[in-house]
Amino acid sequence: MMGDVIETTQRAFVGVTEVWVPKDGRLIHATGDYGGRSAFEVASVVESFGPGEGLPGKAWAEARPVVLKGFDGSYFKRIEAAREAGLTSAVALPVFDGDELTAVLVVLCGDDDTTTGAIEVWKERDGLLLLEDGYYGAAKHFEWVSQHTHFPRGQGLPGGVWAAQTPILMRDLGSGYRFIRAESAGRAGLTTGLGLPVPVPGGETYVATLLSARGTPIARRFEIWDAREARVGKARGGKGGGCKGGGAVLIDGICEREGPLWNEDTPRRAAVWEGPVGQALGSGLPQVLSGAASVAAGYASMVALPIHRGGEVAHVVAWYV
Amino acid sequence: MQKLVVIGAGMASGRMLEHLFETVPDSYEVTLFNAEPRGNYNRIMLSPVLSGEKSYAEIVTHDEAWYESHGVHCRFGERVTGIDRDARVVRGENGDVPYDKLVIATGSTPFIVPLPGHDLDGVVAYRDLEDTNRMIEAAGPGRRAVVIGGGLLGLEAAAGLRLRGMEVTVVHLMGHLMERQLDEAAGYLLRRALGDRGIDVICSANSKEILGRDGKVRALMLDDGTELPCDILVMAVGIRPASALGKVAGVETGRGIVVDAQMRTSDPDILGLGECVEFDGQLFGLVAPLYDQAKVAAATLAGAPAAFRPREVSTKLKVTGCDLFSAGDFAEGEGREDIVFRDPGRGIYKRLVLRDDRIIGAVMYGDTADGNWFYGLMKDGTDVSDMRETLIFGPSFQGGAPADPMAAVAALPDDAEICGCNGVCKKDIVTAIGGGASTLDAIKATTKASASCGSCSGLVEQLLAVTLGDGFVRDTVKPVCACTDLTHEDVRRLIKSQELKSMPAVMQELGWRTSCGCHVCRPALNYYLLADWPLDYRDDPQSRLVNERNHANIQKDGTFSVMPRMWGGMTTPEELIAIAEAAKKFGAAVKVTGGQRIDLLGIRKEDLPEIWADLNDAGMVSGQAYTKGLRTVKTCVGSDWCRFGTQDSTGLGIKLEKRLWGAWTPHKVKLGVSGCPRNCAEATCKDVGVICVDSGYQVGVAGAAGMDVKETERLVDVATEEEAIEWTVAFVQLYRENARYLDRPYKWVAKVGLDWVKEVLVDPTARADLVARFDLSQTVYQKDPWAERTDAATRRAWAPLADLSQEAAE
Repeated sequence: MMGDVIETTQRAFVGVTEVWVPKDGRLIHATGDYGGRSAFEVASVVESFGPGEGLPGKAWAEARPVVLKGFDGSYFKRIEAAREAGLTSAVALPVFDGDELTAVLVVLCGDDDTTTGAIEVWKERDGLLLLEDGYYGAAKHFEWVSQHTHFPRGQGLPGGVWAAQTPILMRDLGSGYRFIRAESAGRAGLTTGLGLPVPVPGGETYVATLLSARGTPIARRFEIWDAREARVGKARGGKGGGCKGGGAVLIDGICEREGPLWNEDTPRRAAVWEGPVGQALGSGLPQVLSGAASVAAGYASMVALPIHRGGEVAHVVAWYV
Repeated sequence: MQKLVVIGAGMASGRMLEHLFETVPDSYEVTLFNAEPRGNYNRIMLSPVLSGEKSYAEIVTHDEAWYESHGVHCRFGERVTGIDRDARVVRGENGDVPYDKLVIATGSTPFIVPLPGHDLDGVVAYRDLEDTNRMIEAAGPGRRAVVIGGGLLGLEAAAGLRLRGMEVTVVHLMGHLMERQLDEAAGYLLRRALGDRGIDVICSANSKEILGRDGKVRALMLDDGTELPCDILVMAVGIRPASALGKVAGVETGRGIVVDAQMRTSDPDILGLGECVEFDGQLFGLVAPLYDQAKVAAATLAGAPAAFRPREVSTKLKVTGCDLFSAGDFAEGEGREDIVFRDPGRGIYKRLVLRDDRIIGAVMYGDTADGNWFYGLMKDGTDVSDMRETLIFGPSFQGGAPADPMAAVAALPDDAEICGCNGVCKKDIVTAIGGGASTLDAIKATTKASASCGSCSGLVEQLLAVTLGDGFVRDTVKPVCACTDLTHEDVRRLIKSQELKSMPAVMQELGWRTSCGCHVCRPALNYYLLADWPLDYRDDPQSRLVNERNHANIQKDGTFSVMPRMWGGMTTPEELIAIAEAAKKFGAAVKVTGGQRIDLLGIRKEDLPEIWADLNDAGMVSGQAYTKGLRTVKTCVGSDWCRFGTQDSTGLGIKLEKRLWGAWTPHKVKLGVSGCPRNCAEATCKDVGVICVDSGYQVGVAGAAGMDVKETERLVDVATEEEAIEWTVAFVQLYRENARYLDRPYKWVAKVGLDWVKEVLVDPTARADLVARFDLSQTVYQKDPWAERTDAATRRAWAPLADLSQEAAE
């Protein structure tokens, strides 16, 4: 059963998470969790990126998620600081509200052949989702299998996200599935998968997945919040029933400490601006918190990422380490 | 302590035990039997377990520790073999257990359609964890699944199997999915959403046989011969109460174990609970009433007063990304009115059914935020007359908002999207109005709002009215009917451009204001759809006018006329004899018509199938004197007999009639072919009239000889009979594809101009394409309706209702 044993000494798959926001034509640092890598933090907070500059600027200019494996000789701007911090790979997820970029979320990882997990970007081509790129740590076989896998609409985690246009959280990735990829995931120790749509301007379809392993988890708690007006009603209050409360409802979630977080009958609600999820809802920007008392279930850090669709924040996904 | 034995560890009995331990914790020593080798889990969450979105561990309601802490003796995996009421003992496979009180909560069993092959390996029901695991085991990329049943459970199974990588087809007997919970419009949206997930759905499909190989399922065969290959076949067509144990024990059973409002069976020491019971003639399958029953059963066991009262329940489908809500009664009925809201751009459909100013049903797809609010109003029987106008917009428009639908438009924020197609928001439109755009056309030109699908044109007009006040003058174009603001021409254009291929698709995507149209729009839509998509759309007889439904013209005395085709006005002695015999047999009056045919008048409705069969036997088919389609091709005798005849006009007439009959057209179509300019066939006042001359054929169109009288206009002169036929067929197809419903060709040509018609038809490629499309349509529709309606089923349908008053009098 979940929650029976918590491995407090687990090593994290993600080293650094940071948020960059546009201001006066450049992306500037907004917030981040540097996991004690203070030199890299110092180097980062003063940085800024124009369109096409560095990793965040590339995600902005090209309006797509970008995976960068190996910084040396690349367009990455903070190569020295990253090397000293033991960071070797990064994934940038742009957050678009329609045509407008609101932020770029960057996660950086250290490639030491001992951490296992996957952060993937899938792109639709000719009616199928193909792997655009991904960072897998030590899960090399799984990486190879994924590169040779495609998903039609509605199939598997990426295909399910694509078809439903909603984030999906899957359990027991390594068991019960007949996908070849699933067998390999099982061998790599991958357990929980969070898939999310990454809306970008134009007609391209991108789906990102975070696949977490028990030994070096991307997160130990995942949450999916549904904030669509069609589900939770308008933000302005109305009389009767209280169903038009705005905010968001927790439609799925799992936590090593608290077990299942979903409740069919009385789902948890988040009010706009209240807590990190509420702030992601209110601002439309990703939130990264570390060491704050407000992080749920006593976790050290958390990320809340809003997903915009149809002119509103449709969903917020959150993960905690 | 009394001894309580519970048979069945499902959700209902689990909830009952929770209540019991809360209220009288030390009153009973409980023994719990369960045929499944486990305790209570949240069975309705099996679908997410199937899809991989939940794990089994997450849906366990009562684990071992819970049972232990409440001192429950668990007999899981053990079947109960009988109940000895005299000895007050439950007999289990592993031994007897005495009881003071007994609760039978054995649930239900899935209904297996007894098709040939239903016992093959790979045919599974969908009920418990074992079934779920069998499906998970069978799933995998490239494998195929067929699900029989398009209800809640079937669709959840389909979505789960699809997520696990299978190619999935859902086969549903009824015309739309989840017909017990959804109306046709919501069913359409659900079907579209499942299609987006790569799930094929076949509705109105009758399963005939499950085919196997080496004892294992290999395909499902439908009654039309279609074979759907599969590695697994899931049957999700319904459940039956598992009431056998009660029946054998001698407690009263009907369809289920009969209980009273205290959940007692006919034996007061035995209670019934859950899906196995029948209360007041009702069975139960959804969880909400079962939980109500659980509470009552616990109270009864605790000696407290309580009574079960069935209530309206709402439905949710657990397919991620499919948001639907359904509650109450939404069938058509006397004294009921609908309030419908559609947002085609966002895929939203909402419908409330009202009777006596109270909500009695609600169906929603895409936007379910207000579902519980409507459900509350419905349960409470709230009088909604004060908020009738804005009710559909939900609670946020109630209270302070004036009861005026325009207020809703006025209250829209500046960034509210008005035109989903072109992404135009309210502010853009208001700005354009400020810049001088004061008509719908001007808004279209300046902002592109309503310039694509046009379904927001009503909203744009409301914005114009809100902004300009009485300075706004509505365009005078006439919409199809009160269900829409779109004109016939708009609807035709959009059916083509958006590839709308069903009635619900048109109504949803074009924002119909009613749930299923009206007597004005349905026949028009039915025609447009079958004309544009002959292979995809199936003709809907219910959308046809009465004569077309009966395949005969009703007369003033309630009898019908029957008229066989006489190709080009030619007949034979054998046909005349058959007609005469039929006339005598059925007492018909006989009339020779202006269209060179013989009409048999005064036929009773119940005799129609028989007279059709008689005339069919003599080689004749329906003259379709009742359709919006080809009626007659009137000819003169032509060069075969007439001294003045220049060409074989009769032969050409017969060829034209044989080519064109059966095709549906916007209105009736009559042809004439005259063998010389003397025009004995009066071809120059027909929809298409051909005059034969020495040099060939003069093809004229758009004549009339009814309320209006008009001479044909010359379309083209051609040298050969083949060309005359080609031009005629191409013209008819152009008319079929472009005219509005109920416009005769002369009215249509007056609107589009003969020059445009000529411009299109003069292009040989365009002409050939039109002919090809016509011929394709004829592969579907050139069928004699008589021949299809002489069977016993039709005879029964055409037969009058029995007059029981006579029998009673006797």
